[in-house]
Amino acid sequence: MPLELNEHTASLIDVVTVDEVESLVAWLRTTSKPKVNLRRCNHMHTGALQALLLFQPRISSTPTDAFLATQVLPLLRGSSGVSSAESEPP
Amino acid sequence: MNPLLAQFLAEAADLLTSVDEGLLQLERDPGDPELVNEVFRAAHTFKGSSGLFDFPELTRLTHAAEDLLDAVRSGRLALDSGMTDDLLAAFDLIRGWLAYVTTHEQLPATAGPAAQSLITKLRGPLGGEQAAPDDSASAVAPTAVSDSAPGWLSAFETEWLESTASWLVTTSATIRFARYTPDEGCFFRAEDPLHLVRQVPALAGLGLIQPFEWPPPETYDEYQCLIGFVLATRAAVGELNHLFRYVPDQVEIVELDGAAIRRHLSGEEPPPRPAQAAAEAVVQSQAQNLELARDAYAILAAAQRSLTADSPSGARLSSVAHSVAAAAAALGAPAETVEPDVEALTARVATLLAETPAAPEEPPPAAPPPPVERATADRGRADDPGGQVGTRILKVDQEKVDHLMELVGELNVAKNGLTFLADAAEEEFGSRVLGRRIKDQYSGLHRIAEELQAAVMDVRMLPLSVAFSRFPRLIRDLSRRLDKTVELVTEGDDTMADKDVIEALGDPLVHLVRNSLDHGIETSAERVAAGKAPAARITLTAVADGDAVIVEIADDGRGIDPDKVKRKAYEKGLISEDELEALTETDAVDLIFRPGFSTADQVSDLSGRGVGMDAVRASVEKLGGTVTMRSQPGRGTSTRLRLPLSMAVTQVMVVSVAGQRFGIPVDLVVETVRVPAAEIGRVLHQDVVVLRGEVVPVIDLARVLDMPWTPDPAADQRVLIVSLHGQRVGLLVEQFHREVDVILKPMEGLLAYAGEFSGTALLGDGLVLLVLNMKEVLSLAARTQ
Repeated sequence: MPLELNEHTASLIDVVTVDEVESLVAWLRTTSKPKVNLRRCNHMHTGALQALLLFQPRISSTPTDAFLATQVLPLLRGSSGVSSAESEPP
Repeated sequence: MNPLLAQFLAEAADLLTSVDEGLLQLERDPGDPELVNEVFRAAHTFKGSSGLFDFPELTRLTHAAEDLLDAVRSGRLALDSGMTDDLLAAFDLIRGWLAYVTTHEQLPATAGPAAQSLITKLRGPLGGEQAAPDDSASAVAPTAVSDSAPGWLSAFETEWLESTASWLVTTSATIRFARYTPDEGCFFRAEDPLHLVRQVPALAGLGLIQPFEWPPPETYDEYQCLIGFVLATRAAVGELNHLFRYVPDQVEIVELDGAAIRRHLSGEEPPPRPAQAAAEAVVQSQAQNLELARDAYAILAAAQRSLTADSPSGARLSSVAHSVAAAAAALGAPAETVEPDVEALTARVATLLAETPAAPEEPPPAAPPPPVERATADRGRADDPGGQVGTRILKVDQEKVDHLMELVGELNVAKNGLTFLADAAEEEFGSRVLGRRIKDQYSGLHRIAEELQAAVMDVRMLPLSVAFSRFPRLIRDLSRRLDKTVELVTEGDDTMADKDVIEALGDPLVHLVRNSLDHGIETSAERVAAGKAPAARITLTAVADGDAVIVEIADDGRGIDPDKVKRKAYEKGLISEDELEALTETDAVDLIFRPGFSTADQVSDLSGRGVGMDAVRASVEKLGGTVTMRSQPGRGTSTRLRLPLSMAVTQVMVVSVAGQRFGIPVDLVVETVRVPAAEIGRVLHQDVVVLRGEVVPVIDLARVLDMPWTPDPAADQRVLIVSLHGQRVGLLVEQFHREVDVILKPMEGLLAYAGEFSGTALLGDGLVLLVLNMKEVLSLAARTQ
């Protein structure tokens, strides 16, 4: 199961596909102070990334996957990013 | 092979068949909106699933076909036979490609040009607009080194841009930036933008384009893609174009040099850092020291491994940080105040690694099976509520059923062993009670085994429509080429037969139908002159007949002229002058099954391919069936194939010679007789026996098989009468045994040459039974006479 949802912590495991996005979002909606463990995550679907960006859960454990750790994690931590108003050409 | 690809290929076969069928029906009944929809849906599904794999030509071709069908569906275009031809040609091409993909897992090299001409044709009726690009590489507009940086560059961290710019200026190099804004519905097309980004080689930086305003969590639609990405990479523009070839309209690629980035930086957030010139000089001298760079790279790689493998802390972390800082300095990257934070360090190491010019290793290859693919099946379910209704059908690999059948056979053999055990209990151990109990047990087991066998056989049964399904297409194509009007009628499509029989039936049927079309059926003009309806009719009929199935191919063509056949056979030296006179009409028609016979005056490219009717007869007989042909000149020809329902179980009669047991297929056995030795006469070196006024030649099976046995002249001789091609032959044997059902295994390996045996079977007592191939045995007998 690529998604383990507990009371406060969700673990994303291996490859999280678009199928898991719905349950992840439902969990994020209903959980107060959610925490997400990405240690064993190898890839997450864009939909999952988007959900994490929107709900801003605490990342309790960083991914070991190189791409997620080096490229995606900084995005989640908000160290980068612009709003589309700036980036869209006029 | 990727299991997903295997599944795609399996489904593709079904889809192609339904597209073919639908198109043909559509041509006949162009107004039917339901049919158009069906074909469109099949083409659409095809396009959708082909997009999962790296087959851009396939996707583009199916896309063109889909567009044409869409226009037909919406009533903007009327389907004519030219379009049907193009559509059929497109799906034929695809079929050929998929056959290639099955073995090579990639499209043939010729796919691009072949697809292009068809795409142009398919787009023709649509006004030829949106002609597809020549090849995928140019699908994305080529980019040159740009002077001005686009605004979205600010999605990257300024600090990172600065360091990159200075490095690029120093090395006079360029870097590629891309902005990827997936459209909102992309998740529904099984796209995963992040996965695509992940595949970008030598990714140097990644930034995020967030929506201007996030929707409130309550109304957030998780299936709507709201974000986009900006990325920087060392990969070439061509690589990026290739990677994003399915979404060229959503990607903007620019190639920038250091100066352009600096202009961007100074334009929006001045001023640039001081002391840059000094740093540059150092960078240059050091970076050119390749050895140093390589060492630094190794250190960074090791640091990354240690950081990702076991997030270090405390002293270890600071030591890792220290070595990273040293390596960074060696590479000329600006020094950074290093706080011992695992994430920051990891990110920094990755950035440094990506920037390192003397990278001795390739970046990690793209992750193997893209998770996007797994998502598709369910996507299809989600946005297509009309899919998969009806009974639940399990698709099982044929091999598994075959294996099950083998196991049933072995169970039968093991079960039969119990009767021998019961006999042994009685005779060797003198316990009749035990013997009887074993027999009781046996009868229970026997019933279950029989039912199991029947059930497995039932699983293997397929309707004849499987074998018939290809004929509508075949007849359409051939009749158009031959300029004949032919109507196909099939009857009894739902008659069932074993899958092996159905499969083996394919080629003979195709051959017979081709023969009918080519030789039997006249052109419309000839038919009208002969007083017949201009449209000819070919009828395929299947009926069950006990444990056999009869398939008949009938046409109402010109029939076979027996005199012409006889003359031809005589000219070819197949029959003697006496036979020319004596042969009846039925026998004359039968002559066309002789090897080396062909009545067509002109060998056409349809049926005259060097395989004659003898090949048809041979392959049907191999299945244990028979072929007969009836013909009425001027009225038509019908060919009747009689095939066993199943080839899995063969009933054989067991006889023994010189103590060795042999099996003979029961179908061939006419009777068993005992004749006094004195009644066996001799005519022209051939033993014969007279039975009910008919002289039947008798063959000594022991002599033919070269076994040491001489019949006892005092006792009655046991003769097994078999019938082959309507001729009766007696086999002199030592003893008759019972009939058994066996599972015949073909002769393989070292014994494959032994043509006189058609196979082996295991008997209940563990003995191996050799089953005779009577045709070969008789010809062997003729040679040993």
